[in-house]
Amino acid sequence: MQPEAKSEIGEASARPLAELLSCPPPIASLLNASAQCIVFDTRDTIFQQGAECHGLYVVVSGQLLRKAERLEKRLTLGTTRVGDLVELAATLGDGRHTYTLVAQSSGSLLMLPMNALAQAFHSYPPLRMRLLEELAREVSRAYVSCRATRLAGIRRHGFKSPLVASDLPLGPQSND
Amino acid sequence: MAGLHPHHPPEDCLNCEHRHLRMFCNLTPEALQDYDGIGIMMSHARGAKLFSEGDPARNVFVICFGQVKISSTSRDGKTMILKIAAPGDVMGLSAVLANVPHEVTAEAIEPCQVKTVRKQEFVDFLGRHGIASMHAAQALSGEYLTVFHDAKRLALSGSAAGRLARLLLDWGKSAANGKPEIRFTMALTHEEIANMAGTSRETVTRLLNQFRRDQWIVIKGSSLTIVKPDQLESLTA
Repeated sequence: MQPEAKSEIGEASARPLAELLSCPPPIASLLNASAQCIVFDTRDTIFQQGAECHGLYVVVSGQLLRKAERLEKRLTLGTTRVGDLVELAATLGDGRHTYTLVAQSSGSLLMLPMNALAQAFHSYPPLRMRLLEELAREVSRAYVSCRATRLAGIRRHGFKSPLVASDLPLGPQSND
Repeated sequence: MAGLHPHHPPEDCLNCEHRHLRMFCNLTPEALQDYDGIGIMMSHARGAKLFSEGDPARNVFVICFGQVKISSTSRDGKTMILKIAAPGDVMGLSAVLANVPHEVTAEAIEPCQVKTVRKQEFVDFLGRHGIASMHAAQALSGEYLTVFHDAKRLALSGSAAGRLARLLLDWGKSAANGKPEIRFTMALTHEEIANMAGTSRETVTRLLNQFRRDQWIVIKGSSLTIVKPDQLESLTA
């Protein structure tokens, strides 16, 4: 390997949603036709951690909470914003939800089903590459947050108390 | 953390007998032929750094054999180990695709053979083969889950014993690969395990001795067998 100059690690910002999902008309029609609108009320559970992931979710309105659980312990991971892509890792990966998504207010989501996305990927590879790059940015942001989480823990010496919600490295920060 | 390594490292991807066991390299014949033609195979000695945190991401690395420590260092020099990458794991992929500097440092903890592919060459390869980009997505998703579980392990296991037990169970589970015996090779020092479990080296030594005395685990040299996984599991609650 060549010696390479070090540079400061910054956060990989999310791409605007319209740019991310832009497709030629036939593919866009396929995605539009298959998209399902999910309307939710406060405290509704949209999906459960560990359950099968049916597709990629886009937040249209309202606020949702990401929650992780292990046995009887629960942890709030953070909120979503309008325009956020939810569960890109599960959609492109093992197809299982990483966390539970619960509504904090009423609102709506758009869900792009797996099979329609798979068809779109097959017919239009640039979409697959764009989502792959977006997932890479999400992983990169997760690393940065994870480092902050661990450092915060080390400073507290011994990780005696559970970390607070905003420390955890999940989900896109913003698509604004 | 599995300790299974081929005695004869593969010389090329086409003749690699371990390919079908590896997530990324298990490609269609056409994609495999193409994959074999890109990048170079490099050998690294124990302790060699493949890339460092903050370096520009110019290559993607696929481990053919050996284990690599993935870590991050704080400003005050404290090292935090995020995971031990094993054969078949892809390193540097998120930084290359996100177009950001490497987020972590990768260091060989034993002699390794790694396929090293230049950034643009790798991106072009993904563009040519749908199956390769799907495997890359799975690799990224796995990386995301690793970071997620790392944070969750620290946040949701209240005690050092619980975090160490979780770590041993995770390693055992990945090494067992469906077999009933949960046994793996511990390639890390107690200090390094402490970095992963968010505790001190002394605590790791004390807890491993305690687990051994209670006959929950058996340690022979660098080999660790989990005899009572349920007991370890109960600590993580």
